[in-house]
Amino acid sequence: MIELKNIFKWVNQGANKTFLLRDINLTINEGELISIMGPSGSGKSTLLNVIGMLDGFDEGEYSFMGNSVKGLKEKQRSQLYKEHIGFVFQAYHLIDELTVFENIETPLLYQDMKSSERKALVADVLDRFNIVGKKDLFPTQLSGGQQQLVGIARALIGKPKLLLADEPTGNLNSKQGEEIMELFKKLNKEDGVTIIQVTHSEKNAEYGSRIINLLDGRIEK
Amino acid sequence: MIKNYFKIALRNLFKHKVFSFINIFGLSIGIAAFLLIVQFVSHETSYDKFEENGDRIYRLQQNRYNSGKLTTQWAAGAAGVGKAVKDAFPEVEAMAKLTPEEGVMSYGEKKFKEKRMFFATNSFLPMFSYKVTKGKLDNALTDPFTSVITESTSKKYFGNEDPIGKLISYNKIDNYKITAVVPDVPENSHLKFDLLFSFSTFLKFAGPESETTFDWDGYYTYIKVIPGTNAQRLENKIKVYIDKKVGPEYKKRNESVEYKLQPLHDIHLYSSYMMEAEVNGNGQSVYFLLIIAVFIIIIAWINYINLSTARAIDRAKEVGVRKVMGSYRSQLIAQFMFEALLINLFSVVFAFVLVLISLPLFNSLTGNELNFSLLLQWQFWLTLVLLFAGGTLLAGLYPAFIMSSFKPITVLKGKFTRSKQGTLLRQSLVIIQFAASVILMVGTFCVYKQVNFMQSQELGVNIEKTLVFGGPNVIDTATYKNRLKTFKTDLLSVPGIHKVITSTAVPGKKPGWNAGGIKLVEDGDEKGNQYRIIGIDYDFLEAYGIQVLKGRAFSEQFPTDKKCVLFNEEAIKLMGFKNAEEALNRRIDFWGDQYTIIGVVSNHHQEGLRQPYDAHIFRLTPNTSSYFSLKIEKNKDPQEIIQIAEKKWAEFFPGNPFEYFFLDDHYEEQYKADKQFGKTFGLFALLAIIVACLGLLGLASFATTQRTKEIGIRKISGASIPQLLMLLTKDFIKPVLISFIIAVPVTYYLLQKWLQNYAFKINLSPLLFILPALLILIIAIITISTQTLKAANANPVKSLRTE
Ligand SMILES: Nc1ncnc2c1ncn2[C@@H]1O[C@H](COP(=O)(O)OP(=O)(O)OP(=O)(O)O)[C@@H](O)[C@H]1O
Ligand SMILES: [Mg+2]
Repeated sequence: MIELKNIFKWVNQGANKTFLLRDINLTINEGELISIMGPSGSGKSTLLNVIGMLDGFDEGEYSFMGNSVKGLKEKQRSQLYKEHIGFVFQAYHLIDELTVFENIETPLLYQDMKSSERKALVADVLDRFNIVGKKDLFPTQLSGGQQQLVGIARALIGKPKLLLADEPTGNLNSKQGEEIMELFKKLNKEDGVTIIQVTHSEKNAEYGSRIINLLDGRIEK
Repeated sequence: MIKNYFKIALRNLFKHKVFSFINIFGLSIGIAAFLLIVQFVSHETSYDKFEENGDRIYRLQQNRYNSGKLTTQWAAGAAGVGKAVKDAFPEVEAMAKLTPEEGVMSYGEKKFKEKRMFFATNSFLPMFSYKVTKGKLDNALTDPFTSVITESTSKKYFGNEDPIGKLISYNKIDNYKITAVVPDVPENSHLKFDLLFSFSTFLKFAGPESETTFDWDGYYTYIKVIPGTNAQRLENKIKVYIDKKVGPEYKKRNESVEYKLQPLHDIHLYSSYMMEAEVNGNGQSVYFLLIIAVFIIIIAWINYINLSTARAIDRAKEVGVRKVMGSYRSQLIAQFMFEALLINLFSVVFAFVLVLISLPLFNSLTGNELNFSLLLQWQFWLTLVLLFAGGTLLAGLYPAFIMSSFKPITVLKGKFTRSKQGTLLRQSLVIIQFAASVILMVGTFCVYKQVNFMQSQELGVNIEKTLVFGGPNVIDTATYKNRLKTFKTDLLSVPGIHKVITSTAVPGKKPGWNAGGIKLVEDGDEKGNQYRIIGIDYDFLEAYGIQVLKGRAFSEQFPTDKKCVLFNEEAIKLMGFKNAEEALNRRIDFWGDQYTIIGVVSNHHQEGLRQPYDAHIFRLTPNTSSYFSLKIEKNKDPQEIIQIAEKKWAEFFPGNPFEYFFLDDHYEEQYKADKQFGKTFGLFALLAIIVACLGLLGLASFATTQRTKEIGIRKISGASIPQLLMLLTKDFIKPVLISFIIAVPVTYYLLQKWLQNYAFKINLSPLLFILPALLILIIAIITISTQTLKAANANPVKSLRTE
């Protein structure tokens, strides 16, 4: 599904190049649950963003579901996002002007779905995440953990084939965190969703079929 | 999807109240102002457009030259030109000729002084596609002593009676038979009449020359050409033809005459010549107002662009998230356009209400006469829809493109900063807004100064405390002279009246008496020139305070004074005298009679200061019945004098309505258009500045909230409040200052051009620019300060904790 070959990414700082990613070679197959680990600043988010095509790279080859990412047009990328990918952000990134319900509904809006169908799906997810009571609140009225839950719910509602999660449990208590990890595992097993998560927690990393360790932008063998 | 767009747009509108208020309020003012101006402009440009064949109708406008120099320009032509042109050119399908008349009309007990009357050829009504409401149009004005009246006139004299076939009396001398009634002349016609008499009547009075001579002026001549006629070519052909016809005769007098084909539709806005049928509009003012309208709406649109792009940073996260959720860019553009659409929709509705509320105020302030019937005009609604669509597209598109272009990664990583480019664009747009404001402000100042200047200048003639009434029309010629004399002495014995004067003209208007071919007796015809003649009595000069510079005034001691004239300084120049002395006792030829110049008098402003001093010749006509002026003593109640004068009037001149005016009011009338223009201009300038300041307010408010943290840190580091204010204000004052630099040359050029309309004008002093600019600067600083003061005074600990 995902194939990264000799990926380099750098930024120019004055005369020097600062490498953010160095010679990344990575193949991820459909149905895997992968954990990316590493110290702060090691490039985890950067790698995830490259995989999610949010960020570019400077050298190397990346093919996503058989398409070379380099040549993708903005419109084709949007198409991939809405059909295949769900994102969970480290900083939640909910839309402040929308209620919990509407935030979760947003991805469906771009999928030509009937209003009644959308309503049913959102209600379903709200139920699953136990946040039915919060559906009419705005993000600013929620705690950090609750916002994270909404963020995850939003990423999952479109039934993505690939879920990219940047520290999805960072702001959750351990019980909530466990529940989310169980959910990921279930999605991975039963629905065959490919999941790539960044995490600092060894325990959460254990849920994965594979752990990738990053240090200074390089994959540790 | 639309429902969703609507929901989020509405939420944004309510969440950012200041932003929404500034945008909607600014846009509403802009749209309302635009609507009002466009309405005014469309009224001014609608003149004579109702005429079915208007594009084929031209007025023959006449220019007279003496010694190769253009001396007089006439709205009305010579008596003979109409027939000559009609007979010579087959492409001239019809010709109509009119000449004005005033007098007292009466029917039974009813009598009124009528001013909008014309002798008109029978061809006039059909040419202007008049329909009759009573009687028959065919040959309505063919026979002598026939008359066509309007419906209002019919009501006025005949009530509900059928006027057809009835006789209406002119000055109690002649009776005219009414042959037809036509609808009232529309408000937007340049040629308004209440009664028409057949031209054949005039022919009877004036003789056959009134069909042929080129030496009598004052005949409005309209021609209608056949379809497909090239007006320019016809004009050239007419020139050649007239040159051949009267050229040789004229050449002897070193004169020439030419005719321009003036399109009917241009008359109201682009014609201001001698003997216009009414005071016409001014195309330039209309054009200037239209520019203001465009300025205001652009300023309002810029506000939307500026505030939206400034606020884009707030929306960046949303854009990033939506893109990652799979939104196409086009969908985001649609969403932002929808917000622009909603704001414009609110603004249009609000503007509509504003127009309804402010229309009476607008009218009374500016002296315009717009009414609610504009709601029935499709043009009004079209403008409204166009402004709505224009605002949504023009103001909405750019921010929509900018906001939808954000890359999710920059936004989501939180590294999104305000781009230099965006700031530059906003500053440039602010510069445009304020440049426009400065132009309007300086313009207002200048118009105001010029009107003030004209009103405060010495006129060289005393028009204060002067009651004027038109002389009697219904008179018994045999006894008039004596009656006038006793009338005068009677009035003079009234305490408070210290002078009673008769004259053929009073200040405030070009004298109606124009005389061409005037020259020294010994000179050849080629030296002849045109002068404006004022017939006066023995008291006129003294009473009106016109100085005798050389020689003497008319005096009853010299019985020969009837054969004498006085020249003013301008007339001396025109006749080519080196100085006043040289003119004294010289004899001039005035239409075949000889007159001696016995005195030279000072120039006076017969007309408002828009016009230069004119060449006047004064003649002694003590028994004229054109104007009576009463000079009233300073502390006398004029109302009392009016009552006495009216009583005497009725006693001496029965059958004549008493119609009076005060000369200073009459003189001021000349500035009415200027004053009206000034007020209208000023009002919209003010609105433009308000809208521009609203925008500035929005930007300042936004920028200071953005910099709250920075301000807090600086404050903790010991910055004083003035230092902080300086820091915050600097960014906003810079574009305002630059806008001055841009606006000054543009304004200078425009004002120079506008002042060309005036013979006597103010100097464009630097102060004229500095004061309004300073005013705008102060307004801008106050506007910004409301925001910066708040920020600078805020408790830094509080602002830092919010992070
Ligand atoms: N545009 C950039 N310019 C310079 N340096 C950058 C840029 N983007 C990222 N970096 C640097 O790249 C490194 C990797 O950043 P990244 O966000 O991927 O770390 P991370 O592993 O996700 O850390 P954390 O666990 O704290 O989230 C950091 O040192 C960061 O400073
Ligand atoms: Mg990270």
